[in-house]
Amino acid sequence: MSFLRLRNVSVEFPIYHGSSRSLKKVLLASSTRGNLARDARDRINVRALNEVSFEVRDGERFALIGPNGAGKTTLLKVLAGVFEPTHGRFASSGQVCSLLDTSVGLNADATGYENIILRGMYMGLRPRDMRERAAAVAEFSELGDYLEMPVRTYSAGMMVRLSFAISTCVPPDILIMDEWLTAGDAQFLAKAQLRIEEFVRNSSILVLASHSMELVEQWCTRGILLHQGRVSTMGPIKEVVAAYRRLTDASMPQQDFASVASAV
Amino acid sequence: MGRAVCVIGRDDGSRLADTARCLFFGRRKTYQKHLGTDQSSRAVAKLTHLEAIHNTKPGSVVDIPGPPTRFGSAVNDIAEGFRQNWLWVRLAHQDMRLRYRGSVLGPLWQTLTTAIMIGAIGLIYAKLFHTELEDYLPMLAVGLILWQFSAGMITEGCSTFDSVRGIIQQVKLPFSLHAYRLVYRNILVLAHSLVIVPIVLIIFPHPIDWLRLLELGPGFVLIAINGVAVSILLGMISARFRDVPPIVANIVQVVFFITPIMWPPSALGEYNWSVTLNPLYPVIDVIRAPLLGQPTEPHSWTILIMVTAANCAVSFLFFSRFRSRIAFWV
Repeated sequence: MSFLRLRNVSVEFPIYHGSSRSLKKVLLASSTRGNLARDARDRINVRALNEVSFEVRDGERFALIGPNGAGKTTLLKVLAGVFEPTHGRFASSGQVCSLLDTSVGLNADATGYENIILRGMYMGLRPRDMRERAAAVAEFSELGDYLEMPVRTYSAGMMVRLSFAISTCVPPDILIMDEWLTAGDAQFLAKAQLRIEEFVRNSSILVLASHSMELVEQWCTRGILLHQGRVSTMGPIKEVVAAYRRLTDASMPQQDFASVASAV
Repeated sequence: MGRAVCVIGRDDGSRLADTARCLFFGRRKTYQKHLGTDQSSRAVAKLTHLEAIHNTKPGSVVDIPGPPTRFGSAVNDIAEGFRQNWLWVRLAHQDMRLRYRGSVLGPLWQTLTTAIMIGAIGLIYAKLFHTELEDYLPMLAVGLILWQFSAGMITEGCSTFDSVRGIIQQVKLPFSLHAYRLVYRNILVLAHSLVIVPIVLIIFPHPIDWLRLLELGPGFVLIAINGVAVSILLGMISARFRDVPPIVANIVQVVFFITPIMWPPSALGEYNWSVTLNPLYPVIDVIRAPLLGQPTEPHSWTILIMVTAANCAVSFLFFSRFRSRIAFWV
C-alpha cells in the first residue's frame, strides 16, 4: 500500500547568487509570482511552497497544475524526497521513481547502453539485474543502434525515450513526472500512457505536473492547482482545470497590442 | 530519532485511522489528548513504520517515530551511504572508465605522468640539494604520490556535491555516498601511481623492514577517513560559497612547497621541528617512513589521529546542521 501525505509543508530557501538587491528587483519585476521576503541578514528568501497539505492514495493519478513559478517543480522534488520540507511534515510509503528532467541522471559521455546500467544503479538495481532488463528497455525506447552511441549525441526526444524506458522498466509504486514527457512524439506518448495506465491499474500512484490541460485531463483523476506556492483548488480534475482556466484568463494582461507592435 | 508512545483506542476502524493520522501529524500534546480518552486497554507493541499503525489492532500501544533529529539523520546518512558500497564502488570505476575513454593508454597515463614528474624533479633536485639520487628519488617518489592522493581529495572535495548536482536534484541518495565515491575514485588513481614505488625501490634498493609495512594499513585507513571528512566539509562549503574552490586550490599549491615532499625535513637544520606544525606532514610521514625503512617522526601518529578526530568532528557538525540544505545549494 503506497501513499503520499503532506501536512502543512513549506519550503523556503535563501537565494545567494548574485547581488541580492538587484536580484530582488529582477524577481519582483518579472511575472514569476514567488513569495519573496527579506530575512534578518538581508538575504532574499523565496517561499516556494506555503502550507501545502494533501494526500494521494493507491491507484490515483494526481495532477499538479499552476502558472510558472507556482511551486510545481519544488513540490515534485519534495515528493521525490530530494528537498526536505523546511516546515511541516511529509510522509510516503512505496518505492518512488521520479522523472524530473530528461538529461539528469544520464551521463552524457557514456553510451545509451551504459546509461541503462548506470541509471538502474541509481534506482537501486544491481548491474546484474539491469543487464537482464536492458533488452526490454532497448525495445521500449526503440532506439536500436543509437544505444551504442554516447547520450551526448541524442536529441531531446531520444533522451525522453531513454529516460522513460529505464525509469519504468521496473513498475514503481509511485511515479513522479514533470511536464517534459511532452517532448516525446505522439506515438511514444501514447505508448507511455499505456504503460502508466498499466501501473496505475496495479495500484500505483502517478503524480504529474504539466501545463498541458489536455494531457492532464486525459491522464489524471484528481489534482491541485498551485498558485504562489499555496494550494488554491483541490478536487476532481475537471474542477481544477476549470479553476486554472479562470486564473489564467483573469491574469491575462490586458495589453494595448498597438503599443507593443509600435515598440517592436 | 525522537519518539513518542501513544495508545490506539479500541474504537472501530475509522476512528482508529483518524487517531493514527492525528498522532502522526500532531504534536506531542495531541497524542496526550488521545491518551486521555482512550486509555482503557493497553498492550505494548513496538513499531517503527508508520503504516503499521493502520494495521494495528485496537488497544495496542504503538511506538511512533517522531521527526528525525538533525543528528539522527546525519548519522543515518553516513551509515546508509557506506552500506550502499556496491553503488559507490561501481560509480567510481565508471568515473575512471569515462575519464580515459578513447585514450590508448587509459589509466596508465596516470602512472606515466607521475613517473615522468618523479624522474624530472628527481634528477634536478638531487643535484640542487647535493644528495645522492639513490637517497633522494625514493623519498620524492613516495612523497609525491602521497601528495597527489591527498591534494587530489582536497581539491576534488570542493566539488563533491556540485559535480553530482543532477543526481542530487533527481534521486534521493545519502549525501555521504558522493564523498565515498570521490575518495574511492582517488584510491583507484593512487593505485595506478603506487606501482612506481616498488620499481623505484628495486632500482635503488633500501633495507626493508617487512614487519613495519603493517603500519601502512592503519595509515591509509586514517588518510581515507580524513578524505571522506574533508570532501564532505569542503563539498558543502564550496556549494554554498563559490569563492572557496579557487581559495582551496591556491592554498594547496602553497602547502605543496612548505611540506617536506621535495626536500627532507632534515634540510631545515635546527628548524626541523617546524614540520610538526604542518598537519599534512604526518600524512606523508606515516606512509613514507615505513616504506623507506626510516624511523617515523615521534609525533606523527599522534598528530595524524588528532587531525583525523578534529576533521571528523568539524565535518560532522557541519553535516548534521546543514545536510538538508545541500539540495538547495547545488
